[in-house]
Amino acid sequence: MINLNANVNSALPTADLNSIGTSKAGSTDNQKTDFADTVKQVGKYISKVDDLQQSSNISIKDLLAGKNEDITSVVSAMAKADISFKLLVGVRNKLIEAYKQTMNMPL
Amino acid sequence: MEISNTFGPVDVAISGLRAQDKNIEIISSNVANAQTTDNGKGEPYRRLEAIFKTDSDGIGGVNIDEITADMSELPRILKPGHPDADEQGYVTMPNVNLPIEMMNLNMASRLYQANAAVLKRYQKMVETTLELLR
Repeated sequence: MINLNANVNSALPTADLNSIGTSKAGSTDNQKTDFADTVKQVGKYISKVDDLQQSSNISIKDLLAGKNEDITSVVSAMAKADISFKLLVGVRNKLIEAYKQTMNMPL
Repeated sequence: MEISNTFGPVDVAISGLRAQDKNIEIISSNVANAQTTDNGKGEPYRRLEAIFKTDSDGIGGVNIDEITADMSELPRILKPGHPDADEQGYVTMPNVNLPIEMMNLNMASRLYQANAAVLKRYQKMVETTLELLR
């Protein structure tokens, strides 16, 4: 059976679902998460996205230095780094937008 | 089985690119040695062929299982005076058939393009999904 359930966490690199309990679709337990928690959780992802960026950087450097002649591995590393970074930027923009909207709320 | 492995299609497409990369290397070896009567062991060159195999059961990338020699009959041509000729003056030539190699080369390069197209289109699809975040 192919599970077609929405699972946002697995889109990010090496998502370990237990340590990062963000809002999983369908499993909204009574646990409350405040805004600071969400920001912290995104912070955890940043290092993982950075790992992918670093490895793509290293593979480009190796290619240019002649240590590695496999272009496809560079393409692969680049594609992964690109996808995960775009997702991170998307999430970041959404978070900041939410923060701004909250701050501009008339009291 | 989960469908939401974002990097799955990337890895599969890259494995396809790698496989065809190697395939083109094999074809170029066949073409380069189309008239090699001595492969270093006193025998004419035999054309090589890549055997592909899936990485895993079901959905997965491709791997080159082995590179086998084509054991079909080697053609003999009359060429007296050639260092590799036998007593009757016949030289055993490699079983490389250039039109076939060109056909295989076309197939390999098209498959390479196809895998690259899959990778490109998948990246576009992910971008489309991320557009929804905005």
